[in-house]
Amino acid sequence: MTRILFSLLAAIFLGAAAPALAAPVDGGHARVELIAERTSVMPGETVQAALKMDLDPGWHVYWRNAGDAGLPPQLVHRDTSTIPGGAIGDFLWPIPELLPVVDGEIMDYGYSDQVILPFSLMIPAAASSTVRLDVVADYLICEDICIPEYADVSLVLDVGEAIPDPAHGTMIADWIARAPTDFAGEARLDTSAAPWQLSLRGAPGLTRDAALRFFPFAHEISHPAGQPASFGADGATLSLTPARPDAPDGPLEGVLVVEQADGTRTGYELSAEQGAVFGNTSGLAATRSGPSGAGGSPAGLITLAFFALVGGLVLNLMPCVLPVLSIKAMGMVSAAASGHAKELRSHGLWYTAGVLVSFAALAAVIIAVRAATGTATLGFQLQNAPTVAILALIMFVIGLWLMGLFELGSSIQNTGSNLASRNGAAGAFFTGILAAVVGAPCVGPFLGVALGAVMTQPAPAVFVVFLAMGFGLALPFLLLSFVPGLQRLLPKPGKWMETLKQFFAFPMFLTAAWLLSVLGALAGHGAVAWTVAGATGIAFAIWLARKPGTPARIAALLVLVAAFAYPALRATVPGGTEGTPTAYAAKYETEAWSPERVAELTAEGRPVFVDFTATWCATCQLNKLSTLKTSAVHAAFADANVAFLVADFTRKDPVIAAELRLRERAGVPMYLWYRAGAAEPDILPEILSKDLVIGLLDGS
Amino acid sequence: MFSRRNISLAAGMAAAVALTAGALIASTADASPLVVPGQPVPGFTGTNSHGESVSLADFSGRTVVLEWTNDGCPFVQKHYATPPANMQALQSYAAADDVVWLSVISSAPGKQGHVTGDEANALTAVRDAIPSHVLLDPTGEIGHLYGAKTTPHMYVIKPDGTLAYEGAIDSKPSARIDDIAEANNYVRAALDSVAAGEAVAVSSSKPYGCSVKYE
Repeated sequence: MTRILFSLLAAIFLGAAAPALAAPVDGGHARVELIAERTSVMPGETVQAALKMDLDPGWHVYWRNAGDAGLPPQLVHRDTSTIPGGAIGDFLWPIPELLPVVDGEIMDYGYSDQVILPFSLMIPAAASSTVRLDVVADYLICEDICIPEYADVSLVLDVGEAIPDPAHGTMIADWIARAPTDFAGEARLDTSAAPWQLSLRGAPGLTRDAALRFFPFAHEISHPAGQPASFGADGATLSLTPARPDAPDGPLEGVLVVEQADGTRTGYELSAEQGAVFGNTSGLAATRSGPSGAGGSPAGLITLAFFALVGGLVLNLMPCVLPVLSIKAMGMVSAAASGHAKELRSHGLWYTAGVLVSFAALAAVIIAVRAATGTATLGFQLQNAPTVAILALIMFVIGLWLMGLFELGSSIQNTGSNLASRNGAAGAFFTGILAAVVGAPCVGPFLGVALGAVMTQPAPAVFVVFLAMGFGLALPFLLLSFVPGLQRLLPKPGKWMETLKQFFAFPMFLTAAWLLSVLGALAGHGAVAWTVAGATGIAFAIWLARKPGTPARIAALLVLVAAFAYPALRATVPGGTEGTPTAYAAKYETEAWSPERVAELTAEGRPVFVDFTATWCATCQLNKLSTLKTSAVHAAFADANVAFLVADFTRKDPVIAAELRLRERAGVPMYLWYRAGAAEPDILPEILSKDLVIGLLDGS
Repeated sequence: MFSRRNISLAAGMAAAVALTAGALIASTADASPLVVPGQPVPGFTGTNSHGESVSLADFSGRTVVLEWTNDGCPFVQKHYATPPANMQALQSYAAADDVVWLSVISSAPGKQGHVTGDEANALTAVRDAIPSHVLLDPTGEIGHLYGAKTTPHMYVIKPDGTLAYEGAIDSKPSARIDDIAEANNYVRAALDSVAAGEAVAVSSSKPYGCSVKYE
């Protein structure tokens, strides 16, 4: 009732008011208005307009595919318009957010707070004085409940010369920039087994620290299901849970959203034909969980903490930890025998405290380094080829050490042992710290996966996991101190420890082998070969170091340094940052326009393309999206050696203004095309297309 | 040398690690959809608005329609609005052919559409609706079992207990009453096909409406 009354009032108001009205209409839970990049338009031109919606906090409107529930907004043309319904273009949909409704069951796609849906508007050629567009904005808006709302909104524009509306133009341009661009690489969907595999290659941004999410245009896949990502040297693969068991009839179409570690989100529209997955697009786990990944949920954290606890327990068996425990355990037997049960318990608690303090310190260091360097993954930066090469070599060296090929760091352990052999609470506390310190290097192979997962978690989660691991390490000793009878169950130190230590060398070598496969995917087989050569060098250095005499030692040291450094160096030679579209774009757009530069280039006989643009020019952004930033145009321009110049009219510039006047243009966009050898340009239409621009090159 | 105790301790640790890893992998696997056209549907027992127990098994040998509903949802209101009383007409059409109609309310307590038995009966009376039963499912058990996502979300079950149709009530996803006249009613078409012993042309569609207000 209120709504009808309101519409009625709005209608009266609209009828009475003239062009100046721009007040948003309150549809109930959103303020809705139509905006345009111009206040005044020329007959026959196409301008960018938009539906602007400011939503109440907590309310949502929907993307072109609303997901499991909901409906996208639409404009219903009204008869009072002087602009015909056919002149209204489709919405250019900015990339959506995930809107989980019921965890794991109902997922919607849409927008919160504010959304601007750009569309193109063709001004009638016969227009004069003013034109008006009257529409009903028909949208479903939901919080916990859903309400269909209808807002009667209008856009009134003067007709005459083109006068920009910089404020609205900038707004529309910003949102055009949030629409997906075409996917530069290839996409393929493997439906041979569930989950389906969406394999992506040849596009930028498909790196392991990015979070990927595919938003389908239709409903072939389950919307609430997570989309675990896996990466390779050439791209990435997403696991998609099918909504129905049967494969779709045609390609899978939708938008891939790549969220970088800094939170930037970029969308790519793609169509994936069905077929086998591409090689080298999987095998490596993501270092960052997806927007709806299980890692961030409390349940995921509990699983991770439990895993860490078990890992901590296993640490007790490590040859580097067990001797420390045994010394204390022997002392416990006597303490228990002499009836000092209370003292024993206090020792257990102090020991636990020592372990937990050490692990908390380790967690704090990791969080601090992560914050300082801005890297999401610290030591487990397995997407960085040199790091992987060095890690593989370190695993190899640890393996050699476990095999007993050489002795390492016994003095450090002795210092710790002296502290630990002190009596009382302090002794117990330092034993705890010692156990953690000597146990820490053994953590890697057992907990690599858990650590890798936790590295991207918020700081409290990192603490929880590390403390759980520490508690696992402390647990057997703590139990023994409270239940001395269990003492009998503790394995006695002996030769079996040495056997076990040697046995643990093999998991190390396997870890090194796995790291080599990771390295191969990242940097190619050359880097792997050099790393294996480095490993040989390390073995040689160890052999050399055992020879008598200082020269042999020095030579061993030199060989050792080279054996680590050279493979890492080889691994840094990148497979292809050159030629990625980001690098291309930088090279592409940095050349600023000036009449002199144009004269130089045309004198050289090079073809020249000049983009007169401005950030507030929505049409300019639309052309970038549809044409100028596409890989097809990039490639065609590069092939034809076209010089690409940009004249930025965002701020008033007398030289650009003079050029625009010279070409009899009221403003931007303006595109000038100088054929090879031509001194005078062709002026291109204001709305570009790939065919049009690539067609220029055939004609030149 | 390994003593027997040491080996069993190590084996125990290894088993614990393996089990944990297994549990991690298992917890990430998604359950496949239970309710698929052509396949048998899962049975259930619920409580109707009169407090009586109702099982799907009670109706074996008869065609059953499941309608997820929520009287506060504008999409449900669209189909119950009089005129054209679209949902009521469909219920009469089904009843004339001895089809069982179960309206299911899966709204959790405190959420939109949650009602007591008396309130549900009053709603049925006010709307001139004629479902065979209104099932109260405040825990969402039946809703989760069938993967009901929206209100309305419609299911047609054949007399042999296999699913004939699942999805939207019709082909026009909107909240406008005017759209009903132009829409193709998928549920009516499925009922006709089942009655005639023919294959259902559209056996599933994307349901539209409000999300089911689960807990």
